Amino acid sequence: MKNKIPSFLLSQHPQMRVTHERGTPRSSYLEKGLRHLSEIITAGFMNVGQETGKGFFRSLDPRLKVLFLVFFVIIVSLKRDIFPEVIIALFMALMVALSHVDFWRFYRKIIGLTFFFGFCIAFPSAFNVVTSGEVIVPVATLAQAYDFWIYHIPREIGLTRQGIEGVVMLCLRVMNSLTISLLVIHTTPFHKIMKALQIFRVPGTFLFIITLSYKYIFIFAKTLENMYLARKSRLVGAVKNHEARMWIAGRIAFIFRKARARYDEVFRAMVARGFTEEVKFSDFGALTRMDGYAGCFFLLTGIVFLWL
Amino acid sequence: MHIPDGYLSPQTYIPLYGVSIAFWGIALKNIKKEVSAKQIPYLAMAAAFSFLVQMFNVPIPGGTTGHAVGAGIIALLLGPWTAVVAVSVVLIIQAFVFGDGGITAIGANCFNMAIVMPFVAFWTFNIMKGSSQGGPRFITAAFLSGYIGLTAAALSAALMFGIQPLIASGPDGRPLYAPYPLSIAIPAMAIEHLLLFSIIEGVVTVMLMRYFLKHEPTLIYSMRKVSCEKV
Repeated sequence: MKNKIPSFLLSQHPQMRVTHERGTPRSSYLEKGLRHLSEIITAGFMNVGQETGKGFFRSLDPRLKVLFLVFFVIIVSLKRDIFPEVIIALFMALMVALSHVDFWRFYRKIIGLTFFFGFCIAFPSAFNVVTSGEVIVPVATLAQAYDFWIYHIPREIGLTRQGIEGVVMLCLRVMNSLTISLLVIHTTPFHKIMKALQIFRVPGTFLFIITLSYKYIFIFAKTLENMYLARKSRLVGAVKNHEARMWIAGRIAFIFRKARARYDEVFRAMVARGFTEEVKFSDFGALTRMDGYAGCFFLLTGIVFLWL
Repeated sequence: MHIPDGYLSPQTYIPLYGVSIAFWGIALKNIKKEVSAKQIPYLAMAAAFSFLVQMFNVPIPGGTTGHAVGAGIIALLLGPWTAVVAVSVVLIIQAFVFGDGGITAIGANCFNMAIVMPFVAFWTFNIMKGSSQGGPRFITAAFLSGYIGLTAAALSAALMFGIQPLIASGPDGRPLYAPYPLSIAIPAMAIEHLLLFSIIEGVVTVMLMRYFLKHEPTLIYSMRKVSCEKV
């Protein structure tokens, strides 16, 4: 099962760039839908590793990478201090650099996601309204402290040392977890990650469902994109919200019918090829010496990180 | 509502993995009874459909657009157990491919969005609609199923966040995982969902249920169940 990207999924559509001739630019449901779909299709295929390419992580067995992913993500979640998280972050940066992944592009993405999922969510907790402690950055002083119900607003509002440490810790943990998972994902084809999950005794049926739906998603995403473009090309004026909702309901129902028809065809094709309800994945083959060394290295490094 | 890695302590995410695995096992067993040998492509189809429902941006009164989580409508169209597997598969793909939701938090995310939400939506719909096969009561039931389903899932996530400072703090009292206590996590999640996101979910559920009721009522699982029971 080669993981080749169909050319139509990689092509850029100039008509997706929507410009407004007058008035304040405002995205319609069609434009947002198109943008959303385009992001999904591009990210879905670009994020997942391909068969080709060189680099430390790409050359490793997918089973080893999945074990690494789980082991290190758990280690990151167990650490309670900033120092070990910084060491793990440096170690992961080294792994990324050795894996022939576009380093700056990769870290731009990681930092963006960390800012969004880590900093933006956690930052308000650095204030003494949420995390009590020693105020090191005063922000405002009220006339008096306020108490209502279970809430307490202190007279002096500011960032606390404990709060800032908590935010830094959370951001580092989010960043390290994302780096570990994205490194494995960028260097391993999706179907191989799924196949490798068998080492955790995940039933083959469940993995097969995931693999099949992953393929369905991109096939139907393309269908959906065509629907949006067809609708957009027929529009000459503004569309009422009510009409837009009716159109969307109709298209979702159409996708539902099409998906049902497709699953029936897929099932018949599977039966015609000898499917007997028993799901079997082909074996990966034996681990190489390189995998053995890498496994030992990861194990030792993980133990050191646990001890730190 | 996708919980990233780093926000939940191991004492939270490990048991939630256990609960989700138990539900997946029961769901696969139940679906096998209803869908027979076709369950693999059927569930893959359901998962793809569940993912694609999120791709439709719906114009909302007030000039904004939003998209649904879709777990409620999937439960009404395909049944709650199918929704458990379909939405879980989507969440797993989102975590692995798009970095949306953490790897350690897959169990927690599946619990909220693939277990709590479909079942609450399905039960709400069945209780509220009673024996009606259309009309305002049916539409109200559809809206409330989406609205209450998503709000319940959000509250479940808020509860998970809110208990972190209680169960995992450093020696100096600093929270080690999600920093917000229950007194902040619950109102924050509840208000934004009660006033915005759950309304979008309710509107999408109504839209689809109206369409299916008018054009293809036989495809609606919750309606099929009623007809079967009547026979």
